[in-house]
Amino acid sequence: MDHTATIDSLLAGTPHLWRGREPNRRQRTLATRHERLDASLPGGGWPVGAVTELIANQPGLGEFSLLFPALAEISHSGQWLILVDPPWVPYPAALQGHGLALERLLLVRTHNDKESLWACEQALHGDQGGAVLAWPERISFARLRRLQLAAEVSAKLAFLFRPEQVLASASPCALRLHLQGAAQGSTQGNAWGNVQGTRIDIIKCRGKCPGSPSAEPIWIPQPHARRQPYPGLAGESCDSTCIFTHNSARISRAPVQASAAIN
Amino acid sequence: MIRGSFTLRTMLPRTNTITTPHWLALCLPHLALDGFVRGQAKQNLPLAVSAIVQRREVIIDSNSSARKGGVSPGMPAMAALGILDGVRIVLRQPAQEDAALQRLAAWCYQYSSQVSIPPDRPALLLEAGASKRLFGTPLELGQRLERELGRLGYHVIAGSAPTPEAAWLAAGEGSHINAGGNIRQQVGPLSLRCLNLQESEQHALESMGFRQVRDVLRLPRKALTRRFGPAVADYIDRLLGTRPDPRLIYQPPQSFSTRLELPAEIHASQALLFPCKRLLEELCGVLRGSDKAVQSLHIVLCHENHADSQLELGMQSPTQDPVRLLGLLRERLERLRLPQAVREICMEAPTLLQLAANQRSLFRDSPAEQQHGIEQLAERLQARLGPDAVGGLAGVEDHRPEYSWRPRALDEAVHCTALAHRPSWLLPKPRRCDIGHYEILVGPERIESGWWDGRDCRRDYFIVRDIRGSTLWAFHEYKPRQGWYLHGIFA
Repeated sequence: MDHTATIDSLLAGTPHLWRGREPNRRQRTLATRHERLDASLPGGGWPVGAVTELIANQPGLGEFSLLFPALAEISHSGQWLILVDPPWVPYPAALQGHGLALERLLLVRTHNDKESLWACEQALHGDQGGAVLAWPERISFARLRRLQLAAEVSAKLAFLFRPEQVLASASPCALRLHLQGAAQGSTQGNAWGNVQGTRIDIIKCRGKCPGSPSAEPIWIPQPHARRQPYPGLAGESCDSTCIFTHNSARISRAPVQASAAIN
Repeated sequence: MIRGSFTLRTMLPRTNTITTPHWLALCLPHLALDGFVRGQAKQNLPLAVSAIVQRREVIIDSNSSARKGGVSPGMPAMAALGILDGVRIVLRQPAQEDAALQRLAAWCYQYSSQVSIPPDRPALLLEAGASKRLFGTPLELGQRLERELGRLGYHVIAGSAPTPEAAWLAAGEGSHINAGGNIRQQVGPLSLRCLNLQESEQHALESMGFRQVRDVLRLPRKALTRRFGPAVADYIDRLLGTRPDPRLIYQPPQSFSTRLELPAEIHASQALLFPCKRLLEELCGVLRGSDKAVQSLHIVLCHENHADSQLELGMQSPTQDPVRLLGLLRERLERLRLPQAVREICMEAPTLLQLAANQRSLFRDSPAEQQHGIEQLAERLQARLGPDAVGGLAGVEDHRPEYSWRPRALDEAVHCTALAHRPSWLLPKPRRCDIGHYEILVGPERIESGWWDGRDCRRDYFIVRDIRGSTLWAFHEYKPRQGWYLHGIFA
């Protein structure tokens, strides 16, 4: 009697078993609409019912616009996008311009990190599908795991924008992407090098053979073409160039007043 | 032709829908005590209710642990204190009992449109015949009410009969007299003491040697009237149904307010959940009865030597769901710091709203279900984070980016111009920068606006990139303050 065949047939007939070498068919996904990224992710898109970490050291690398196609699809299907404590003010005209349905956008403003995480968890609970986006500065492994479990139960998409320091630590999230605004190819003498796009490395993804994801990075082109530096107008007093720390200050819940508009 | 008329007849409503009235009586023998002990999860504290009878304080009712200690009704209060150490004796409060009966009548309104409160007894009368198809036989409805009112903390005995007075007699025995049954036979064996008569009338009947109800029923009506006056004869007629017995029908109120005196002081805010749950279930029963809903709820926690703690529960949409209300209240109580122990809870719904008929949909992800889900989420978040913590975002038709957005209520419509070339995020305030550190990619885009409202500005916007690859939105301002500023992030 051929025992191998028996075991194989037994394993194949067990619906609750997933073996690492083949993609997980039960994982629902939502296409990212970025060809290279879709091809690299198991299931061909953002995992539904899971937490995705987008790790970048500074904002402005296209980490949010990467989500636009998926968010537009979610919001137009009548589901809600819940933004928990975004560090900046969303610009309605631009979001509308990228196809997001503004009437399906919910902004949550809290007073501290603890409340912020609690709000995330509350947003992830509940039956209705949709997406939850958050910018936590510090979050413990246990808390992250609770978010992941809540997302699994409710079949929502969760995106966390996190700084690069967290790369060193382990994470229970289903997908971790590392975004870098680096020069493609060799750098020239120019101070800006050949900065042309954002490099995305898949640090971790559930449902794919280990080792294979990080084989080669994905490049997302920057939307704006290069131009010559603006002539002449330089040399004002300034802050340091690195001004965008995560959660540097909590934003007031109303538009700024005239006198305070410009510091 | 014949066939046609036949079809027509089957489409007409059935004519035998008029049912004979059948009354359900709910006896509340421990009403005075229930008002004091129902705020307590376990009845382990001995408690007795007293009343002043002939200038002496006499126990009229006691809970199980007091009865175990030997405190029984009829005993003088001083004797009870002597028998059982630590027994708490409270004076009966008739006004609160009346208020409780009124609330229970409103609660019962969900099972019958004809609810009546008899003026002289702690009881409720419901017409149960009309809703037989909906709630089952009076026996089943009675058992259901006994169970549900028990959950609210009230001891109830149900009984039913074709006439209200007979139903009340039956409730005293916990029995049910069928619609076709003979009242005369059923109530005959009962003791004369059961009848709802004046003390003097009872006494007069007993002195004539009558012991059972059937003895009185045997007397001819004329003799009865002559000997005991018209009141007794009238009562017997109404009992047997030979004379109509019109009742004042209870009308549900337009607001709800209840109070609960706690048997023992509560120090932890979490322990308030049990009594609050009982109050909420009572409220929701009343709401179901009158097909109303609440959108805001006012709760006052009374302390002995401190100003009362006030709680305001607000909801996104009207509700009559006790689970939803309790979930919100739990969030609020978790954060509540009690300055002192709580002695009493008052709950008030100032306005009762019409409940919008929202039918639950078959499919989970329908827009209506989504709206329902997001409203409940917003409520939970607001309960803990404050009313302005949750909101939407709307565009404002203004060229200056910092004035082109505003917070939005969730049910408000959005109109916004789409501008795909603008950054997705704006800094809360523009920040001064040195343009020498950035590479300019696109620009300029002139924005000049606001001369009419005193916030006049003239700027040239550029899309720039910093040395680490971040794409940002910067502007050069000509007025009011010349210089370079960063204003947005292409994240």
